[in-house]
Amino acid sequence: MSKVETILSQLKEVAANPKKAMDDFKAETGKGAVGIMPIYAPEEMVHATGYLPMGIWGAQGKQISKARTYLPAFACSIMQQIMELQCEGAYDDLAAVLFSVPCDTLKCLSQKWKGANADKVIVFTHPQNRGLEAANKFLVTEYELVKKQLEAYLGVKITNAALENSIAIYNENRAVMREFVKVAADYPQVISAVDRHAVFKARQFMLKEKHTALVKELIAEIKAMPVQPWDGKKVVVTGIMLEPNQLLEIFDEFKIAIVDDDLAQESRQIRVDVLDGEEGPLYRMAKAWQQMYGCSVATDTKKGRGKMLINKTIATGADAVIIAMMKFCDPEEWDYPVMYREFEEKGVKNLMIEVDQEVTSFEQVKTRLQSFVEML
Amino acid sequence: MYTMGVDIGSASSKAVILKDGKDIVAAEVVQVGTGSSGPKKAMENAFEASGLKQEDISFTVATGYGRFSLEDADKQMSEISCHAKGIYHLVPTARTIIDIGGQDAKAIRLDNKGGIKQFFMNDKCAAGTGRFIEVMARVLETTLDEMAGLDEQAEETAPISSTCTVFAESEVISQLSKGTNRNNIARGVHMSVASRACGLAYRGGLEKDVVFTGGVARNAGVVRAVSSVLKTDVIVAPNPQTTGALGAALFAYEAAQKK
Repeated sequence: MSKVETILSQLKEVAANPKKAMDDFKAETGKGAVGIMPIYAPEEMVHATGYLPMGIWGAQGKQISKARTYLPAFACSIMQQIMELQCEGAYDDLAAVLFSVPCDTLKCLSQKWKGANADKVIVFTHPQNRGLEAANKFLVTEYELVKKQLEAYLGVKITNAALENSIAIYNENRAVMREFVKVAADYPQVISAVDRHAVFKARQFMLKEKHTALVKELIAEIKAMPVQPWDGKKVVVTGIMLEPNQLLEIFDEFKIAIVDDDLAQESRQIRVDVLDGEEGPLYRMAKAWQQMYGCSVATDTKKGRGKMLINKTIATGADAVIIAMMKFCDPEEWDYPVMYREFEEKGVKNLMIEVDQEVTSFEQVKTRLQSFVEML
Repeated sequence: MYTMGVDIGSASSKAVILKDGKDIVAAEVVQVGTGSSGPKKAMENAFEASGLKQEDISFTVATGYGRFSLEDADKQMSEISCHAKGIYHLVPTARTIIDIGGQDAKAIRLDNKGGIKQFFMNDKCAAGTGRFIEVMARVLETTLDEMAGLDEQAEETAPISSTCTVFAESEVISQLSKGTNRNNIARGVHMSVASRACGLAYRGGLEKDVVFTGGVARNAGVVRAVSSVLKTDVIVAPNPQTTGALGAALFAYEAAQKK
């Protein structure tokens, strides 16, 4: 097995087995894990406690049953899956859960956590009028409350020094992942769509410094290889998430290389750093939310997401944009008509496919993707 | 040179043999689709009709839902590309294609060279497809073939929603129990299918000529309904069930020439 394959296999193992990753971490450190609900959270604060931040993004292909008691059928499948797993006690080992509420379904779900740790759910709000300085002050206050609750639930004091250290670790991880995105685009023969997703997904279940070290090594190994011409198609993908692997395997089967993404689960998590500055760490973390762009749950009155995606296709030489539409995700559905019009006006080929975590059959998506490749 | 296109749908299997990329020497339909003996039978029927054998065929392209299951195929292509190819060959003025098959509906926009500009498919739902009509025909105690006849005699349109086949079925049942005329219900069913499929066509922007293809295009009631929803004339593709297989045979001819 080559070094590249070995590293990818390690990351795939973590991505596929979050429970094992958490158990291993507990055995190694004696500390627990804190759940991080989609879409954005001040993870650095959890990292500063020494606990493992664990991303919670649903499950793949799991039949929904118990969650139907609490959520209507038109709630997105991520939330359905999370609710189902809560009911089954899958998150009971988490010491606390960080819960942002940027959409209606998240707001509802935040009020009815069914796990054993229901009293340790830390709900906080991102201000949507993000242009104002008052928004930063508001978010600092929210983060102060998050900090206070985390300290109480975990019994750990979060010092400014620990927080600054965590911010630096996260900034480095984000920068390394941004480089990985470029490397994956240059070497689609080496990094498949399935591999690319695993590298992103593993970062949700690992300490970021460990993830950074592995990805740095991976990048170095890949860059030592010659760049080969790609005879398939290149696309930019956008949406909440692009899973499961069966769906990504169709991309690989039809030689559709993902040369950049705007997925909430992937590149939106690494888009904005916490900048250096005179201000305290909580204020600078709050400012990062103000700097966030191109995301359906971060209000943008100028609707710049379509332009951002068009620019990405130009910068990467992509043939098209693929919109991975999370079924019943209102914020994403509201963005789509605006983006679609812009794509059509600029002649950017585009295709919308539906993502539903409960689905186990992908024949229709396969037909769409094959047709799209033939059309390009 | 002979090439073959095999379109393996959910409800039927179609085979077309083409001579020199121009002349259709066989176009056969068997009313069972993927996972059945349909594809083989359609091919055998096409060989019988043309007097040709498998070894006479230079290249075979499979398309449709079951395209990856045909062992004799040299290549698989999506039904969207094949329908576009077949329709443009038959009707070069086509710019919008509405294809309603057994389990899905599609709208395809073409440019003036026959290239696909955009396409839309129905989601994972039987509403707006042939299966929808089949279910309603059963409730109306009639056959698929007789649905158009009932529609023709209708005096008005009974409202049937296009959201969901299961809900629509209970609507048909409640219309029947209210004593609504079956002919009017049949017309309502066709309007329901048409409004769903035309919704896809509107998403891509409607441009004339509009060509209607797929098995459901054989139903004159749906053709009238589509024309009425789109408020434009609709050209029904010649032999609409086999346009996908024809497109596949045309692609096969191009591939054979490159061999």
